[in-house]
Amino acid sequence: MVTLRTVRITVASISFILITAIFLDITNRIPPAWSSAVVSLQFAPAVIKTISSLGIALAAVIFVSILTLLYGRVYCSQLCPLGTLQDIIIWIRKKKFKHRKFPYHPANYRFLYAVTALSIVSAIFGSAALLDLLEPFSNYGRILSTIVRPPIIIVNNALAIFITSTNSLGIAEIPLFGLDLWNVVLALFFLSVIIGLTVWRGRLFCNLLCPVGGVLSLLSRISLFKITIKHDACIDCGLCERVCRAQCIDSEKNTVDFAACVGCFDCIGSCPTDGMGYTFRRRSEVLQKEDTNRRTVLLSLSSAVLASTGLQNIADTTKTSSGYVDAKKKPVVPPGGRGQEHFESYCTACTLCVTACPTHVLQPSFLEYGFAGILQPKMDYNVSYCNFDCTICGEVCPTGAIQRILQQDKKYVQLGKVTFVKEDCIVEIKKKDCGACSEHCPTKAVKMVPYENKLTIPQIENEYCVGCGACEHACPTTPRKAIYVTPNLVHQTAKKREEKRLEQQAATPQEFPF
Amino acid sequence: MDRRTFLKSGIGFSALTGAKITGVNMLAQYYATANQSGPVPYDLVAIKGGEPDVMFTKGMEALGGLGKYVKKGQKVVVKPNIGWDVGPERAGNTNPKLIEEIVKQCYTAGAKEVVVFDNTCDNWVRSYKNSGIETAVKNAGGKIVPGNTEGYYHPVSVQGAKNLTNAKVHELILESDVFINVPILKSHGSTKLTMSMKNMMGVVWDRREWHKNDLHQCIADFAAYRKPDLNIMDAYYVMKRNGPRGVSEEDVVTMKSLLISSDMVTIDAAGAKLFGIDPADVRYIQIAEEQKVGRAKLDQLNIKRISL
Repeated sequence: MVTLRTVRITVASISFILITAIFLDITNRIPPAWSSAVVSLQFAPAVIKTISSLGIALAAVIFVSILTLLYGRVYCSQLCPLGTLQDIIIWIRKKKFKHRKFPYHPANYRFLYAVTALSIVSAIFGSAALLDLLEPFSNYGRILSTIVRPPIIIVNNALAIFITSTNSLGIAEIPLFGLDLWNVVLALFFLSVIIGLTVWRGRLFCNLLCPVGGVLSLLSRISLFKITIKHDACIDCGLCERVCRAQCIDSEKNTVDFAACVGCFDCIGSCPTDGMGYTFRRRSEVLQKEDTNRRTVLLSLSSAVLASTGLQNIADTTKTSSGYVDAKKKPVVPPGGRGQEHFESYCTACTLCVTACPTHVLQPSFLEYGFAGILQPKMDYNVSYCNFDCTICGEVCPTGAIQRILQQDKKYVQLGKVTFVKEDCIVEIKKKDCGACSEHCPTKAVKMVPYENKLTIPQIENEYCVGCGACEHACPTTPRKAIYVTPNLVHQTAKKREEKRLEQQAATPQEFPF
Repeated sequence: MDRRTFLKSGIGFSALTGAKITGVNMLAQYYATANQSGPVPYDLVAIKGGEPDVMFTKGMEALGGLGKYVKKGQKVVVKPNIGWDVGPERAGNTNPKLIEEIVKQCYTAGAKEVVVFDNTCDNWVRSYKNSGIETAVKNAGGKIVPGNTEGYYHPVSVQGAKNLTNAKVHELILESDVFINVPILKSHGSTKLTMSMKNMMGVVWDRREWHKNDLHQCIADFAAYRKPDLNIMDAYYVMKRNGPRGVSEEDVVTMKSLLISSDMVTIDAAGAKLFGIDPADVRYIQIAEEQKVGRAKLDQLNIKRISL
């Protein structure tokens, strides 16, 4: 018989495996469109994407909202990868310590809603830091990309070298970057907190710290279907409380605090007398007992604030460069990121773009964007450079921090401008030809022009520069690059190079010139 | 090593005889086709007016067939230029049709294994794919392997080098019985042209070292390290400006030409002329000739010209 629990486990497994797979796809074989589809239902990213891009993400927000308004927080048990991660921890704990359960414990809504409101409000007023640090999908992404992925890459690389030297199976080495100490420390810290909280009190994170849990908890208060205890059928055995992972069933009082329920449905299956109902109810008794005023205020505040976010941020990004920072100290924002303000406001640092970037130029940062942009990815031209024809980061970004742009448009998005320091250039220092920068330049914004003694030296035409960093990456001078990109605070548009098509008629020689 | 030295002496022989006495040359050619291991009849074969695969086939016929270079059971490495994430019509990479035909004919000649790689500039996965070369190699039954792994590159010392005394070279170059170098002729911002000697930058790990230490000298230095058994220069589509990556198709002309030689200096000198640049103006050709890597004086060589 298909029980609600079976459905939950099936959907959760599929969702969890798919999300895990896209973050651990070290060879980037999963098409970006699939990745994008897999993460499209993630609630916080979808809300942000709706605000940042006003697109199809709205459908995801509506879908999850309606789902919650109908059935409660099933999202937390079926679609949230961090929720499933906690369920796995709970499952392991159950195997180890069979006798220990999570007895009823009233949820600290005051704290949960305060954290939720603070995350949302601070995100609106400039710093997404708190949201980034608590948002479940992004945290799960960072755990995978900074803790799980590197060891897989190490094993792959060991295999690549071993197998290819005997007989190639087509396994290639994958550059291992992004092992930023602080990123690893933070991800490990978060994982430890999650493990600790889960082992201690089940889904405590979801009912104490999670901003998505906070919002969905509010919605679930008015959901149509609710889990309740049928007083006529209940034999007071307490089994439902024993299996509850959210500590929301009080078997003494025979109440279910549905706002804290994550919808695992274990209680329904556990009841020996069919005493757990999952039925259409207008208002739960629990809700009536509590003080609703405070919550109502918070709810309306949050939604008002949520609604205003879009307008405010969109208005901001249309402004030209605010020019308040020393440009050289700021990182380069990926193409589609539109500029620092846009990118910083919408990125939750899930690092999906970092794992999807084929050249690995997108790397996690720590505080390079400042505390407000903690952990948000940056273009690292020491590692690589942005592929001229690639638009993958924008295709996978679940929040719209990196906007989806067409390939033909991307070729003219100027992330920054290039500066050439002649005094540091090989041609000037050694009086020998080099030209590595110009070789790599996809638009010939860096051109080699005649220089003394038949040499050629780079010349910059910044109107054609897209700021991809190819020149900077290729430049062989150490420790200072003789050519480097300074980011545009707001991305600009590069000029298209118009050159006449070469004469084709006489191309094939009449006679060989030798 | 024996085979290579032997081949080289073969080239020498044909150069000595063929350049002056055509009768002897014809005899040599007959001898070459009759006897698989005979001397190579020409120093350079130039073909024009055909499709890449056809030009290659005609050119190799003149040289006595690919079987003179590839023996039964040998491992062959084919090194195209796959430097950039651009399609064939952009002429940034060697023509995939040519690569497909070469790999096919290597197997026909009895090769045990034909492997293709390049240490690309742009992302290797995209470059392999979008150049059309990955598909071409697979169609021909060959194997294309990544060149992005430092572990595949082993340190060697380059004898007689002025600047580039050490390099890390891909193991396929070190292991394979036959090395076929398949560059494309195109413009280059700092070295004027990239051809066969410049294409060797894709068999080493660290190109920045070359750029740092007099690029021309390093190119010429490394040309003496492991001379390819055969160089096949693609000049079907030729990028005339904005090289080596190019900006658009506007930079490209259709030249429908192909050059084949065992001597990198010879083929680069011919490539330069075909492009319209005096080989004497390309410094690495000059240095390579001075360092006796090969011969650049085309008027002293035995050249077969084929028009299709």
